[in-house]
Amino acid sequence: MTIPSWPLDSADHLADALREQGETPEEAADLASALLSLTTWQAPQPTAADTGRLLARLMPALPSLSPVRQAIRARRMSQRGRLAALLETARTQVSIFHPAFWLLSAAVMLAGAAAMLSSASVDQSLLLRAIGPFLAYLGTTTAFRGVNLRVLEFELACPASPVQLALARLVIVLGYDFGLGLALSLALWAQDKASFLMLTLYWLMPLLLVAGLALLLSLRLPVQTAAAISYGGWLALLMLDSTGALVGHSLFILLSVQGEMVISLLGLALLVIALLRIHAATHCLLPRS
Amino acid sequence: MAGEASALALLVQRHHGPLLGYLYRLVGGDRLLAEDICQETFLRLLQQQQYQAGRPFKPWLYAIATNLARDHFKSAAVSRALHQREPDETLLALCDPAPGPEERALAAEQGADVAAAFARLGEEYRAALLLRFYQGLSLQEIADALHVPLGTVKSRLSVGTRRLRELLAPVKEGVDER
Repeated sequence: MTIPSWPLDSADHLADALREQGETPEEAADLASALLSLTTWQAPQPTAADTGRLLARLMPALPSLSPVRQAIRARRMSQRGRLAALLETARTQVSIFHPAFWLLSAAVMLAGAAAMLSSASVDQSLLLRAIGPFLAYLGTTTAFRGVNLRVLEFELACPASPVQLALARLVIVLGYDFGLGLALSLALWAQDKASFLMLTLYWLMPLLLVAGLALLLSLRLPVQTAAAISYGGWLALLMLDSTGALVGHSLFILLSVQGEMVISLLGLALLVIALLRIHAATHCLLPRS
Repeated sequence: MAGEASALALLVQRHHGPLLGYLYRLVGGDRLLAEDICQETFLRLLQQQQYQAGRPFKPWLYAIATNLARDHFKSAAVSRALHQREPDETLLALCDPAPGPEERALAAEQGADVAAAFARLGEEYRAALLLRFYQGLSLQEIADALHVPLGTVKSRLSVGTRRLRELLAPVKEGVDER
């Protein structure tokens, strides 16, 4: 005998249900006692085999999607699969980052935050523009060091292509740097030092530019050299700007507030070019000996 | 209706038992007929494109089932069969005060008296009472399933429960006498 469900599971529930349909409490109590006998009429319950047979009969009637919709769904699934694969590859690549990378990046960011929060008069935008790309420098030299470690052959033999590995490592480096930078911006914003958006733009945009340029140059030069040239070039620009030597020069636009978006677009374009070139240029990275 | 087999399996596993129980009682205890209508209900469910996501599913399911059962009893063949024989005769006999207290008590234990009482109710009352007391649907869900206003549901339940009490009273007395 199956256990009765609401409202037949108790006289109180039955009386509640009767009151809900408009009966007075007295009528509900009276009717409930009579209706409790409804529990004696048991209905058959289907077995798992019955349900299985029913399902087997229903399956052929299941509406199938049109070929167009099937193609759209397959494409969406493959896109989701690609993203999942990228994140999975990134997870496997975390181990190549030495603890020093995580600690040094955090320390640089903390030092920058401390300098800006101190009472000393510091040019905020200059400091942020110097710190952000330094993180990109650290990340590039740590993540793309296959040549120096003599493991490039192994990387080339991986099921994941060099592009996938580069993308996965960029996800780690940029993700970590973005996290640190956002934390810094939030901290400064909380101190009413400046607008959150502007602070974020000051360090994020140059970071993208230096990362993109370093990655592109690393296809032809040793990683450390490429990263050093990129970061050094950026610092040189900043120094020239701070001395006023760039006023009136076309490069000056890059260092203006309006130029932040131009910088970021340029950085993204360099990153994309570098990734597209990796397939063709990987042989340049192989050891000469 | 995304066309996913796993979703269908989940749906059927969840609702097969309750729906079969409802139809079994609605058609007066004919299991084979209840199974046929149950299967037809799920088939209609797959074929219909009217379901709007976000609306309660159960009233929609029970609306299809109730309509199919109604159509079945309205069909000419069934009407003829009903005229030729009295299917509820044996059940109705249980409500006859002639049987002794022991027989009535045994019938009550097996639920046959309840089945017979439901068989004597009009279809509109039977469906509302079954949905309310055996399936546990809310008043609004019953209104949606039967496509009637909420007031009509309350009215049908009120009249139906009183009629049911009258029909069950002789049996209850028999049980009490024992």
